[in-house]
Amino acid sequence: MGQRSDKLHSRDPRVRGLFIALALAFLLALALPARGREQGTAIKPEPSSSALLEVTDETGRRVKVPQPVRRIVSLAPSLTETLYALGVQDRLVGVTDSCDYPPEARRKPRVGGPMNPSLEQVIALKPDLVVMAKTANRLETVEALERLSVAVYGTDSHSVEDVLISTEQLAGLIGVQEEGAALVAGLRARLDQLQRALGDRAPRRVLFVVWLDPLISAGPRSFVGDALRWAGAQTVIGTKQDWPHVSLEEVVRLQPEYLVFASSHPEQASHDFQALRQKPGWRILEAVRKRRIALISDAVNRPAPRLIDAIEELARQLHPDAFPDKPGPKGKARPPHGIEAVGQVQEACACGR
Amino acid sequence: MRPVTLKMVLKACGALLLVLLVVVGIALKLGAVPISLSDLALHVGRGALGRSDQLPSEYRLIVLNLRVPRILLGILVGAALSVAGAGFQALLRNPLADPYVLGVSSGAALGAITWLIASPHVLLMPALVPLFTPLAAFLGAAATVAAVYFLGRRSGQLDSGTLLLAGIVTASFLSAVIMFLMTTLPSRDLRGMAFWLMGDLSTPQVASVLWVFVAGLVVATGAMYTTASDLNLLLTGEREAMHLGVDVTRVKVVVYVAASLLTGLAVSASGAIGYVGLLVPHTMRLLFGSDYRLLIPTSALGGAIAIVLADTLARTIVAPTELQVGAMTAMAGAPMFIYLLRRRLG
Repeated sequence: MGQRSDKLHSRDPRVRGLFIALALAFLLALALPARGREQGTAIKPEPSSSALLEVTDETGRRVKVPQPVRRIVSLAPSLTETLYALGVQDRLVGVTDSCDYPPEARRKPRVGGPMNPSLEQVIALKPDLVVMAKTANRLETVEALERLSVAVYGTDSHSVEDVLISTEQLAGLIGVQEEGAALVAGLRARLDQLQRALGDRAPRRVLFVVWLDPLISAGPRSFVGDALRWAGAQTVIGTKQDWPHVSLEEVVRLQPEYLVFASSHPEQASHDFQALRQKPGWRILEAVRKRRIALISDAVNRPAPRLIDAIEELARQLHPDAFPDKPGPKGKARPPHGIEAVGQVQEACACGR
Repeated sequence: MRPVTLKMVLKACGALLLVLLVVVGIALKLGAVPISLSDLALHVGRGALGRSDQLPSEYRLIVLNLRVPRILLGILVGAALSVAGAGFQALLRNPLADPYVLGVSSGAALGAITWLIASPHVLLMPALVPLFTPLAAFLGAAATVAAVYFLGRRSGQLDSGTLLLAGIVTASFLSAVIMFLMTTLPSRDLRGMAFWLMGDLSTPQVASVLWVFVAGLVVATGAMYTTASDLNLLLTGEREAMHLGVDVTRVKVVVYVAASLLTGLAVSASGAIGYVGLLVPHTMRLLFGSDYRLLIPTSALGGAIAIVLADTLARTIVAPTELQVGAMTAMAGAPMFIYLLRRRLG
């Protein structure tokens, strides 16, 4: 019976028309403020000084950067490191939650994670320039900031050379060309020295462990793959992918000479290695049985000037004979830890810190 | 069932609009950057008068260009998903139907991703590419609903349990295909896609996309509303409805297309935000009864409230880092699903 009355009621065309009109009116009302937004974006804030430097960034986008750059927000740990290395940390007004090097960077205002920063926090810091890395950030973040008329410079390094060029370009953009040139010249000198030391030693065949579970390694085309080449090593994984998932079977078949681990906590890494030795698949690896592992700083994972430190560190561990008791360049490199026994690792780490 | 009058609809919608206004106010106020109430009133007021250029630029950008569009998108997505959920519940005669649970969101996501992969190879003005994403998502959604509908039948009859299982299996199959595409294709921004898949409102949309969304939402919701009284009858049984003079096939086609379109629009804008289509229509049924003439408009408003609220939480609880809104809705919606499931079984 109830159904019948419902039906009669709704078949009244007037009532039905009113319902529809109501729904439409509501939805239009929702839509209207969107026009206000369009007007909002139309008014572009003029930078205080009129000078704009137009450049093409490493991802191929045209960017207009207001000059001089006084306030920078970094959306990637590698770029935070680069800016500190260039000595412009005073202009760095915002970093991500992942920016942990140098330790002072942790005290800068945070804008969230590299993948999901708070756009409003970025805007509130009033940056002249936001720097991002293609490997660390999302394209959507860049596009969103662009639409809010924020200058975003993107970096995209696939080799050690790229990192050096990128550092110099960034220095030019910020107006510290000389500092950038000096920094990069120093890094190049260290790389040259390293190449002379290594001579024509055959590269070690290594498995670079980016992540253990699931096992992820670095492909030869990534900047890590290139860093390995500089350190007198060669990744056994030959894929087109930058960060391939690798099966343990494949590793057993390839039998790398060395396993390379990168960690900010060497103690933890050597502990992990002990655990690894107990695992059935890993136990049959030549490198694990003979304890041929190299533990280096996680700087190797960041396309920033500290990458050169990591390369030197790795070269010393893989080719100890090439560095006969010589202290590192400028005496700042860590003591060589020729890792043939895990006991030595811990010792070396203790003094390296 | 009491007859539904215009007054009842107006009252219910009025009350929900008030709640929505309060929620929007809260959403405008809260965020990673603290803004005082007086500042907020000043900004919104001047923004509404079109005199936003007098304000300090960073607050103007935050309130008018970040928070307002995000809230608007939340309103649109919430309304679309909730109305789609209510539609699927009637179409499939299953109170547990939801675009996400049935795999329709995954189908829409697959459609959108396929378009994103294919679009660079299609000769089209780059500005037009994002406008076709909702269309691809709609096609994906429609194909998935059809598949689930036929998989969910047992001896010619829609079986509630089989339907849900078919939906869940379809969802996991489609997610696997998406995973496959994402790992094998050297696509330019995989992490962005992975993020979007979880349901995310953090990316401001281009104005033209928003307008497409508004138009689609109005058309689809309006079309579904014209079938509202027939849906009430359809829920009592197809045969009964037919006897009472309902053109069952027409109603089903209208609801099927409209709900798929709404899902496609929502997913292409914000990824697969789950359980809203379940949570909101059931809450509205508890509050206002299960008459579709009330349920459709109240679900639209309720969905808007739910998403704006969930997104405000997602933006603020671990600020400045942002959670995905999909995580918030799943936390609230999954228990609701279990509750409804147990109530049906018990």
